[in-house]
Amino acid sequence: MSPQPDPRPRIVQEEGACRVAGQRCVACRHPLAYAAPRCPVCRGALADARFGPDGEVFAATIVRVPIPGRTPPWGLAYVDLDDGPRILAHYAPERGVLPVGARVRLRAASREGDPTVALAP
Amino acid sequence: MSVAVHGVGTSLFGKQPDETLVGLAHRAVSEALADAGVDDPDALDAVYVGTVFGAPGVAPRVLHALGITRAPILCVENACASGTSAYHEAHEAIRSGRFERVLALGLEQMTALFDGAIHPEASDPEGRSGLALPSLYALAASRHMAVYGTTPQQLAAVAVKNRRHAGGNPRAQRRTPVSLEEVLASRPIADPLTLLQCCPIADGAAAALLAPARGGSREVRVRSSALRSGGLWDHRSPHVFGFELARDTARLACERAGVAPRELDVLEVHDAFTIGEIVTTEALGLCAPGEGGGLVESGRTSLGGRQPVNPSGGLLSRGHPLGATGLAQIAEIVWQLRGEAAGRQVEGARLGLVETLGGGVAGIDGNACVVTVLER
Repeated sequence: MSPQPDPRPRIVQEEGACRVAGQRCVACRHPLAYAAPRCPVCRGALADARFGPDGEVFAATIVRVPIPGRTPPWGLAYVDLDDGPRILAHYAPERGVLPVGARVRLRAASREGDPTVALAP
Repeated sequence: MSVAVHGVGTSLFGKQPDETLVGLAHRAVSEALADAGVDDPDALDAVYVGTVFGAPGVAPRVLHALGITRAPILCVENACASGTSAYHEAHEAIRSGRFERVLALGLEQMTALFDGAIHPEASDPEGRSGLALPSLYALAASRHMAVYGTTPQQLAAVAVKNRRHAGGNPRAQRRTPVSLEEVLASRPIADPLTLLQCCPIADGAAAALLAPARGGSREVRVRSSALRSGGLWDHRSPHVFGFELARDTARLACERAGVAPRELDVLEVHDAFTIGEIVTTEALGLCAPGEGGGLVESGRTSLGGRQPVNPSGGLLSRGHPLGATGLAQIAEIVWQLRGEAAGRQVEGARLGLVETLGGGVAGIDGNACVVTVLER
């Protein structure tokens, strides 16, 4: 058995900031954080694109129950990256649930490989 | 071709680790066939089976033990909507003339697989990031609260109402009444959702026998059934997960039935988590978006109110053996429309609706949603 490819958004560090290495449709500009062969909106061709580092919290929670391989608590938020896709990101739960609408910035991926955000400075 | 449900049956729902899947299915299928007056399993033209975690071959393995062989068996997996997807396909097969007498069966045995939340799917980008289903709905709740001012008390009111309803349902998993304070003080699962706002995992089976409508006194006519999968759900959507899919599927079902939401007498909807019922009642058009919290507080969706929602106790109290849930919802509405739901009967109910929504795939608004309108 070989391990499954990692389907999560890939985070890269460029020009001093963390960004999502995704794709954008060359025809309709639809942004994608997840790998796809064609644009799911218009079937146009995709080109590599970078998104972030800043975005806004669409929704957020703190998970308090374990799942295999993870120890609670951990923060999860849907983040709409500026002019980019909505991604699911982790955040540190110590300061409570991130408010909806808060400005956040991408950080380096977590040790577990998850996209991560923190409140923008 | 007009289609009717001629018989329904279910097992008990709940944690039943000593019960076999064959035993659970036997209860549901025997009851449904007897209810429909079918005494020969060979009279079935086809069986549609909904299950999510069933092992390969689970459907024929269970059915042959019940004496159901040779008829084609088709297995459907549509997450929480698997059972209603099986029902929908059975309905369409009869409506189009492909088959005449079809059994729809939902099955799930979960206690052997999970202690708590269903494990997120590692091949999914959000599942791989630890998005278990309670957290998906918790995210929806956080958005709903921020945008519409929905309160923790309104979320909890759904759990209190559905538990009160379950007191009249001997087959439900959780039947003891709970207070608003108890719901809010129960163990946090994914903020703002607490334990008593999450459906319990369960073992169970449920079945329905569908055939052309013949005008029999106990049959329940299917006015319409609609099945859709989710559209793309991304940065362009201002709505919480599942809202648009449930709204669009419900519109289709109501349009096909020629029924307006305000005409419905009783509803069984997908309340795997409290926020689910609030969003669904909005999506179904029982109230405007943002008013689902006020709707549950108003009492209109309680037993004794004008449009009771989840008189069975819903997934929150009946328990949620995924594949079985949709057909248990169908069974409840059939009993309600026949006046056979002793202990939780909606008096004079004539028109009912079932909605189930399955999720867990990142990037879309739901794996599948089924809405059906039933009439007697």
